[in-house]
Amino acid sequence: MAAGALRGVLWPRAAAGLRAARAALAAPLGARAASEMSKDMLPGPYPRTPEERAAAAKKYNMRVEDYQPYPDDGLGYGDYPMLPNKSQYERDPWYQWDQPDMRHNWGEPMHWDFDMYIRNRVDTSPTVVPWHTMSKHFLLFLSIMLIMFGLGEIYPSYRPVGPKQYPFNDLYLERGGDPNKKPPAVIHYEI
Amino acid sequence: MGAHLGRRYLWDAEAEPDPLHMPSFPAQLGMPARQPRVMVASASQLADARVPLEQRDFCGHHLLRLLRCQRDNFPVPWGCHALRHAWDSCQHQDYVMRMKEFERERRLRLRQQRLRRRHGDSGDSGDSE
Repeated sequence: MAAGALRGVLWPRAAAGLRAARAALAAPLGARAASEMSKDMLPGPYPRTPEERAAAAKKYNMRVEDYQPYPDDGLGYGDYPMLPNKSQYERDPWYQWDQPDMRHNWGEPMHWDFDMYIRNRVDTSPTVVPWHTMSKHFLLFLSIMLIMFGLGEIYPSYRPVGPKQYPFNDLYLERGGDPNKKPPAVIHYEI
Repeated sequence: MGAHLGRRYLWDAEAEPDPLHMPSFPAQLGMPARQPRVMVASASQLADARVPLEQRDFCGHHLLRLLRCQRDNFPVPWGCHALRHAWDSCQHQDYVMRMKEFERERRLRLRQQRLRRRHGDSGDSGDSE
């Protein structure tokens, strides 16, 4: 401590006074601030009895009829409510939410994947056109294009001209032919 | 433009030339006085000029003159119109020759069909006439 390194009369006395004041205000070990959540507000184990269900619904600010926990299959959800997998995009943009960017009210139960469903991330909004119409259109287009390309491969289109004629035995050496071998003689005639 | 394609794919493929297997008749058939095409530029000249292989055809000498003129006149682009026209017209004549080759092939095929039909009727085979 810098205060301890300096010699003198006033510094060590002030440091001792500070330490005493801090010790008087310090909380016992293991205590938490009152602004944090208390133990009964945190999620707990899967509710087995109807009373536990009612208590869990009250904890999460939900009605007992609406409260539906995740199935107890060992994945560790506990009594957290299972909310519909809808992103925040689907919520009313004109309603006066407490948190407009999150489209979320204070105390409202948050989805397990809330951080995924924010408006910057996953969007589960329904498509403008029904899904089956979209897929039908797309598959129709794709199949027609593939069929046409396939037909173009089987029956290629060409101009009514003969192939282009090149000199030097169809450019035998230029195309990488062996200079030691005799190239096949190709003579082109005028017409 | 698509008449030859219709004839080839929908009608009689025997009578239409196949551009991948051309020419299928001897070059002197019916035209005994044919001259071979003359290549004016040499292979080493074309290689020195680094001309792409697709352009090393029988109009190569016009192309070499044009490239030399363009290199001399750079960056002015209007100095070589006459040489450009000479090369273009040589290419045009080359394309017309290709069209004539195609037509020759087609007529010979039709003739071959006629001969087969005639000799087939009379029980003989061969395409001499």
